[in-house]
Amino acid sequence: MTAILVKALADLRRRRIQAAVIFLTVLLAIGTGTMALTLISQTRDPYQAAFEAQKGAHLQVLFHGSTDAQLLATTPTTIGASASGGPYPATSLQFKYAGQTFNMDTFGRDDPGGDVEVLKITSGRWAEANDEIVLTRSFSELYKVSIGDRIKVVSVPTAPTLTVVGEVVDIDEGSADLSSQHAWVLKAAVPALTAPDLSFYLMDYRFPTDPTSSQLQGYVDRLRASLPPGSISGSVNYLLIRSVFNITNQILTSVLGAFSVFALAATVATVATLVTGIVISAYREIGIMKAVGFTPAGVVAVFALQVLIPALAACLVGIPIGTLLSQPLLANSSHALGLAYVPSFSIPLDLLVLAAGLLVVAVAATLPALRAGLLKPITAITNATAPRGTSGRRLRRLAARLRLPRPIVLGIGDAFARPLRAILTLVTVLLGVATVVVAVGLPRSFELINNSETGAGNYQVVVNRSNAFPDAEVMRILNSQPETARVIALDGENIAVPGIADPVNTRVFRGDSSKLAYKIIAGRWFSAPGEVLAPAGFLRDTHLKIGDSFGGSLFGQTLQLRVVGEVYDISNLGHELFTDYATLPTNIPNSTPGTYWVTLRPGSDVSAYIQRVAAAQPDLIDVHANDTSIIGPVKIIDSVLLAIAAVLVLIGIGGVFNTLLLNTRERLHDTATLKAVGMSPRQIMVMVAASAALLALVAGVMAIPLGIYLHHVLNDVVSTSTGNDTPPSVYGVFNPFELILIPLLGVVVAMLAALIPGRWAARTNVVEVLHSE
Amino acid sequence: MSELVRLTDITKVYQGGVTGALNGVSLTVEEGEFTAVMGPSGSGKSTLLNLIAGLDRPSSGTVTVAGTDLASLGEGGLARFRRDRIGFVFQFFHLLPNLTALENVLIPAQLKRHESAEAPGRKLLAQLGIQELADRYPARLSGGQHQRVAIARALINQPTLLLADEPTGALDTRSGEQVMDLLVELHRQGQTILLVTHDAKLATRHAPRVVSMMDGRIVDDARLETAERGAAEVIRVRGEETRR
Repeated sequence: MTAILVKALADLRRRRIQAAVIFLTVLLAIGTGTMALTLISQTRDPYQAAFEAQKGAHLQVLFHGSTDAQLLATTPTTIGASASGGPYPATSLQFKYAGQTFNMDTFGRDDPGGDVEVLKITSGRWAEANDEIVLTRSFSELYKVSIGDRIKVVSVPTAPTLTVVGEVVDIDEGSADLSSQHAWVLKAAVPALTAPDLSFYLMDYRFPTDPTSSQLQGYVDRLRASLPPGSISGSVNYLLIRSVFNITNQILTSVLGAFSVFALAATVATVATLVTGIVISAYREIGIMKAVGFTPAGVVAVFALQVLIPALAACLVGIPIGTLLSQPLLANSSHALGLAYVPSFSIPLDLLVLAAGLLVVAVAATLPALRAGLLKPITAITNATAPRGTSGRRLRRLAARLRLPRPIVLGIGDAFARPLRAILTLVTVLLGVATVVVAVGLPRSFELINNSETGAGNYQVVVNRSNAFPDAEVMRILNSQPETARVIALDGENIAVPGIADPVNTRVFRGDSSKLAYKIIAGRWFSAPGEVLAPAGFLRDTHLKIGDSFGGSLFGQTLQLRVVGEVYDISNLGHELFTDYATLPTNIPNSTPGTYWVTLRPGSDVSAYIQRVAAAQPDLIDVHANDTSIIGPVKIIDSVLLAIAAVLVLIGIGGVFNTLLLNTRERLHDTATLKAVGMSPRQIMVMVAASAALLALVAGVMAIPLGIYLHHVLNDVVSTSTGNDTPPSVYGVFNPFELILIPLLGVVVAMLAALIPGRWAARTNVVEVLHSE
Repeated sequence: MSELVRLTDITKVYQGGVTGALNGVSLTVEEGEFTAVMGPSGSGKSTLLNLIAGLDRPSSGTVTVAGTDLASLGEGGLARFRRDRIGFVFQFFHLLPNLTALENVLIPAQLKRHESAEAPGRKLLAQLGIQELADRYPARLSGGQHQRVAIARALINQPTLLLADEPTGALDTRSGEQVMDLLVELHRQGQTILLVTHDAKLATRHAPRVVSMMDGRIVDDARLETAERGAAEVIRVRGEETRR
């Protein structure tokens, strides 16, 4: 064993560059893999921990304000809940702070504790007087609200001022930049803050065990049956909240997981190439080793150890780095849930990564090393290197027919002279270039979806009115502005639909909403009352398809609806309906639109418009520019994707460099001969670069369809995760020229990677090489 | 005849070497000459040839070939010099194994971007009697055939100077004779040839001028009247005698 170790270490010292290539590729692959696995294994924990610690509600149901509170108090027994909270009186509050108007469901609650849905105070205290309010920490952080700040309520004519006294974390809410937020006041404060028709109740239910989706639906159905028609105005369950909370990490781990496999595959290819090359170039040495008594297994062990030692070092560095890099994302999850961040990792998982990483590298190294072990000593000693195959001749002849310069012809032939090596190199480059294609395409697809969701380029101004300010007055103000080209008013309703447990959020548009650039996957935009569009998640759960009619219920009134299109929308994970205002029955309470999307004429000054409209009624309407910026989680996914692409490109460069190095060393004799007959150093570099360029070009050309396919798959993963199908236009984000440019850039990068081996080849000492025989 | 090669006070010391491979060698070769450099192994004859070919650089002294001081050329310049001026025949042929015989022959021309060299290449192979082997790979050639291809490759660019380093060293007697006959024929056609060999008999039988080397020095430079004299009677390695 000592002899094997001594020989392996001596070889390692001699082959420092190859060791460095192995170290770097394994480091990058293992680091990425560890990050993915740490995220996958740890992200469920923060939500679960918070849900248990805060006695999260499995089901939250909103009831109309007209519902009998005494009756609501009996509902936990009706559905067999083990704990409950409420009924909490609530209202939809509008308030102004720092010049902005906010809409927020506000609940009357005297105690943040209790048996269910505990609110964790992270700053300040709970409300103790009727003029005090508690906000979520996420909202306070986003809009820079501090304890002691005062907000002005504009949804009631008295316009009372409330003091912010506390910040809490509510595990039922996402971050403020992504979802609506709640606020809390004392129960006694609610009536004075409630505008007509804007009162409702909230009930929180918790069950002995985590209920399934169908059980939850059964509970809502039983509630509906036990109460007067139209009592339930909305509901939300823990499964949806958990999915929404985990969606970013889920997408992130999917992306990371997929590309970690790529990185590992590229590493395996690089290791196999390297060991094959070392064995080929060390025939005589293998013969000598066998002659002095190394067993076949010993010879294999020497070669495998040369790879395993740097791989072990890479794992020991890469695993902690991967674990560390996953921590900011995990810390973000903990923070959102109000949990104290504790570094989260799993030592058994890290050990598993170490073992699996080394095993994969060991297999990749041992298989080609077996060739050395099985070699007959006399064959090995007689031949300095493995006999060269005839591969590459056809390519060379083809290149010669094209009348390319001779160094290029020779380089092209060399590229595929060792087919296995060429294939393994192609794999590493292929994976790198394909990842680049994905990293280029996916952010663009996300941007397209973001644009459709935020109305980017479609409407420039968003107006929200106070309930105290009539819809007609808002429309009058907007239509009187010369820059106003189009106003689309928006109302939100919750329609109960058979087959869906929670009433479905419905966007009700007034105006020419067909101009809105929502991504329609199939069918068409609605054009008549009763016509609706829905995302795939809704259609799947209701077993509806385009053309199907179904009955909905709103405030106890039945609506006859017909699906005319499938639309892309991530809200509530694809459980949303889109319809025209004319679909609503006329006697629905509080159904006038409160939000207005304004499209301005080309060349209008958006800021001047906003200032002018806001000045018309500063307290009762909020006017702001439409925010079309990419949301935080998408930015994180884009960044991670870019980093992974960089990792795989680096591994690809390492693969090309490694192959050229092996080719160059193996062809030292030929290079010396070529120098002797007059090939200049520049021509030799061209020859080596041509070899690299061909490999990169072939891999790049193959990588484009693979990259496009992966782009499709990842788009579908993201769409499915958010309850949608992918809009066809989201796939087509590539410009034909850049699909040509990407492989060409790969060729340039490969040629740059060829510079060092090329220079070494160019510096070949002819006399030493040719006379050493 | 004009002077083609001039070596002036050349020394060559390899890294770590205590004694030099060449110690103060001066030599001139005229255009059209067939010169054999003879000496035992380690005498410095191959080093001499490498310096003339621009494959190596002297530690001191100057090498001038066809009026060009090789010290003034960089690596690229030396490569072009070899391509344009020198034909080199090696003892172990050094054909590129993945190219056919004809492709091997054409390489120096193609490096010069002489795309129309195929016809001259085939003609050369025909002159050397191996035209039917043009499309064969080196692995399927005999030793003598290897060396004929190597000679054709050396001649393809019509070099000013043909350098041959033990061209028969790896061949059987018959093949060796055939190769030497070829070189003599080339010389008759006006080719300047500098041949390195350790075989005194071979040198004296074919080369009109025989330069003898020993321990990195030229110890004899004999111009022979005929090509049919025995080595023992004509060549006196004076340095060797002096030592005795």
